[in-house]
Amino acid sequence: MATNGAQSKAGDWRNYKRVLLPPIRDLHRLEVYEAHGGYQTLREVLTSDRWDPKSVIEEVKKSKLRGRGGAGFPTGLKWSFMPPVDDRPRFLCCNGDESEPGTFKDRQLMEFNPHQIFEGILIACYAMSVRTCYLYVRGEFARWIEHMERELEKLYAKGYVGQNIMGTDFSADIVIHKGAGAYICGEESSLMESVEGKRAYPRIKPPFPAQRGLWGYPTTINNVETLANVPLILHNGGEWFASIGAPNHPGPVLYGISGHVNRPGVYEYPTGMLITDLIYEVAGGIRGGKKLKAVIPGGSSTPPLRADMIDGVTMDAESLRETGSMMGTAGLLVLDEDTDMVSWLRRVAHFYAHESCGQCTPCREGTGWLENILTRIDEGEGRLRDLDLLLDLCDQMEGRTVCALADAAAWPVRYTILRFREEFEARCKPSLIPTGIDLTPTS
Amino acid sequence: MPRITIDGTVYEFEGRPKLLQFCLDHGIELPHFCYHPALSIPANCRQCLVEVGMPVIDRETGKPKRDENGQPVIQFMPKLQTSCSLDMADGMVVKTHRTSEKVARAQRDNLEFLLINHPLDCPICDQAGKCPLQIQAYKYGPEGSRFEFLKVHKPKRVKLGPRVMLDAERCINCTRCVRFTDEISKSHQLTIIERGVKNYPITPPGVEFDDPYSMNVIDLCPVGALTSIDARFKARPWEMSATPSITITNAKGSNCYYWVRDNLIVEITARANAAVNGYWLPDEDRLDYHRFNENRPDGPEVRRDGRLVRVSWEEAYDRAVELLAGIDGRRILFLGSAYATVEDNYLLKRLAEALGADTPVYIPHIEPGHGDGWLRTDDRTPNAQGCQRLGILPVDEALVRSRLESGEIQAIYVLEDDPVGSGLFTAEALADIPVILHYYNTTNQTLVVADVALPAATVVETVGTYVNCDGHAQRVRPAKAIRTVNRVLMQEIGKSRLDQHGTPYDRWYNEKHQVDCKPSWEILPEVAERLGHPLRYKGPKYIMQEIAETIPAFAGATYEAMGLEGVRLAEIGAEV
Repeated sequence: MATNGAQSKAGDWRNYKRVLLPPIRDLHRLEVYEAHGGYQTLREVLTSDRWDPKSVIEEVKKSKLRGRGGAGFPTGLKWSFMPPVDDRPRFLCCNGDESEPGTFKDRQLMEFNPHQIFEGILIACYAMSVRTCYLYVRGEFARWIEHMERELEKLYAKGYVGQNIMGTDFSADIVIHKGAGAYICGEESSLMESVEGKRAYPRIKPPFPAQRGLWGYPTTINNVETLANVPLILHNGGEWFASIGAPNHPGPVLYGISGHVNRPGVYEYPTGMLITDLIYEVAGGIRGGKKLKAVIPGGSSTPPLRADMIDGVTMDAESLRETGSMMGTAGLLVLDEDTDMVSWLRRVAHFYAHESCGQCTPCREGTGWLENILTRIDEGEGRLRDLDLLLDLCDQMEGRTVCALADAAAWPVRYTILRFREEFEARCKPSLIPTGIDLTPTS
Repeated sequence: MPRITIDGTVYEFEGRPKLLQFCLDHGIELPHFCYHPALSIPANCRQCLVEVGMPVIDRETGKPKRDENGQPVIQFMPKLQTSCSLDMADGMVVKTHRTSEKVARAQRDNLEFLLINHPLDCPICDQAGKCPLQIQAYKYGPEGSRFEFLKVHKPKRVKLGPRVMLDAERCINCTRCVRFTDEISKSHQLTIIERGVKNYPITPPGVEFDDPYSMNVIDLCPVGALTSIDARFKARPWEMSATPSITITNAKGSNCYYWVRDNLIVEITARANAAVNGYWLPDEDRLDYHRFNENRPDGPEVRRDGRLVRVSWEEAYDRAVELLAGIDGRRILFLGSAYATVEDNYLLKRLAEALGADTPVYIPHIEPGHGDGWLRTDDRTPNAQGCQRLGILPVDEALVRSRLESGEIQAIYVLEDDPVGSGLFTAEALADIPVILHYYNTTNQTLVVADVALPAATVVETVGTYVNCDGHAQRVRPAKAIRTVNRVLMQEIGKSRLDQHGTPYDRWYNEKHQVDCKPSWEILPEVAERLGHPLRYKGPKYIMQEIAETIPAFAGATYEAMGLEGVRLAEIGAEV
């Protein structure tokens, strides 16, 4: 593989030892998790003089951990936004409403290592002096919800959750909340609306959740994988964590690789992996020895990269931004040379039209319109001018709504058309009205 | 004081107002749909976007950076902001569509989105003509449409409740109606269902939208999605005139508009008045207009050979005087009315005084349990407080009945009420004495014993003052014309039209629907004069002026002071 001389930032990844999903049988059971050192970090944090809430947050800041839910916001910084403790309740929400096409890494954690999530939640609760955490899980994950609830009961019975955890004066409850099948509930403010029992319309910001969150009280929302990293940081130190993978976006990451590869699945490796390594070595290459056409690096909302754009690109925020995409949730969709990009984009547009909550005008109407046009093009009835209309509509949607769903719907449309324009043009009939617009493809 | 620059003009402000409300208060129009000053701010229609910048602060000096011309350097936010939800801050610079092509484009784009699935059935829509979507689409929207697909279809005729009809296709999902039932009426009877482009408001399963304030959502709806089952398809806004007035269903005196076409009241809608009813009106107030159109009398009548016979107004006055003249004034019972205006009651009181009679009393109409502590009261009359402030007190029923039985009362003069219908007297008890009756409707049960029946102008036909249960004095204006010519009414009706220059010769002029009645302030002086007690005023305005000057409980309550929104009498120094 040509790599333009760029190096993987993941170091000796071939000998990487997994820490989020370690190869231990039955780790999802409390007995097994404890036998392998589980909850020792929590005990240490709660009982040792070395740790107080402030120093825990400092350690997380030092680790440079960035949120794994898609936006990549520094976790320690987010925690420090919580206002000083007063007599009001405070909440933590753990976001397990993973529903974006191409993203399926949190469910692996919930299935195989739920106790690391619980331990991370409890440490986060301690760090932010939170008494209640809502673990919001996508409703379709019914089986894992069931077994997490079973394990959570064990934790309550053992005194690891609830009143006076491990005999200390720290108390915290975990409530598992089941979603009802809406993608929008993964947006942090609509997640809170959903927990409150309301229709999950995203809220306007400001105020931010740390000021006015659940029921108007200070709240922090973290992704499942983010919190699962926390016990590791506290156990091994922030510096250890910061030394893994890409310097500006460090740590282990669960790569969910899907699409036309030989071995799709969730793989744990450091950040900063070369995309080519992930496709050709980790996932065993393209199915049937075909050529690569496109990679969507972080779930369906991130802009797709053409095969000729990925040389030397590594999986971290900086590298992907320079290339013209995003890290997202590190859910890589790999598309081979036979993929019909028009049809693919139509399917993605359908998803966002179906999942738009309908609160804001540009998203409600725009997502439906995008799907209409793409359907027409896919069915061979499109006109060339439709492509410019699509780009126009993206302009009309982006940045004009309460939450980022409109952006997430517009980006794949905009960048798939810009990067695969010939393919779209080949499917369109000529416009009835000639346009004077420069149609040269650009990236 | 903090300052904000909007389109290059500097404004001072206090506190932390929201930008959109501040602009609306200062006459700077910004298009918007979901924002309503009485409701929470969801910022979901995305129509009120503006460009917002803040001065760049020099990190070293802590002061705003200045460019070579000494002007502060402004950093504009990368995204447009919804002005409805934006807290104003000192030094903020705002560009609206008037100065920013970016904002104008965003507003145009948004309207294009709003219209793609909107049915555009304006020609048959009740809202057309007063529709914020229609107005703003013409003003700020794009030319034509680039949408070449089937519009989304949704339920078209959903009876949400007994009074409100939903056309979900017209809905633009501003959620004003849902927020109204959540935040104002607290009935929680509406919610949004479905998702994305399919969503629309509806009641939860098994719930009927029977909120006693349900029809407010019709006023709130910025499109024609929610319409009144009672009023829909009856009249177009431009065929009607809207007269600002008050409702008389109860003692609250909620502010309203009376919509008139062909000289009939077609609809009653809410008129904002923070001191009385906010933006709201109970459903019963809105539907209470049939009394102005139906069962109305046709001219004065006098009883001859046991039957009421139609006569001229002069004959009726003469007959009344004939009946009263022979009776000692002290033997006449004058009944005032909590339905009538302060002016009319005052003239009745003056007449009673002149004849040496007792001060008039009024019949209270109290319906226990009807009130809700908000805009509905147990008292079903609009002016009980006005009567009391004039010294006209509730009737002592037992006393007047015994006085009637003992023959102490030898005649009754009734101002705009129904002593038989209300149960004060039986028809038999009044059969043998003269009864002179000012009345509104032919359903008035006292008519069977009335010797002189004088049709009186109702609240929609007269000029006058009502005092609500909180001591708020408010003027009413004529919304429709009566048969006879009265210069004062002619002038007032012209002024109160929405178009400000309506005349009786407008297209909604309809002779058939003119009631041959007169305001009591015109009838009473005629009767008084014939009895030898001149009671001449140039009009109700001058009557009220005299009341304001002579009765301490009305001190200062002139027409000028009352204006369009009335005055709280206690606040202008009137005695309580």
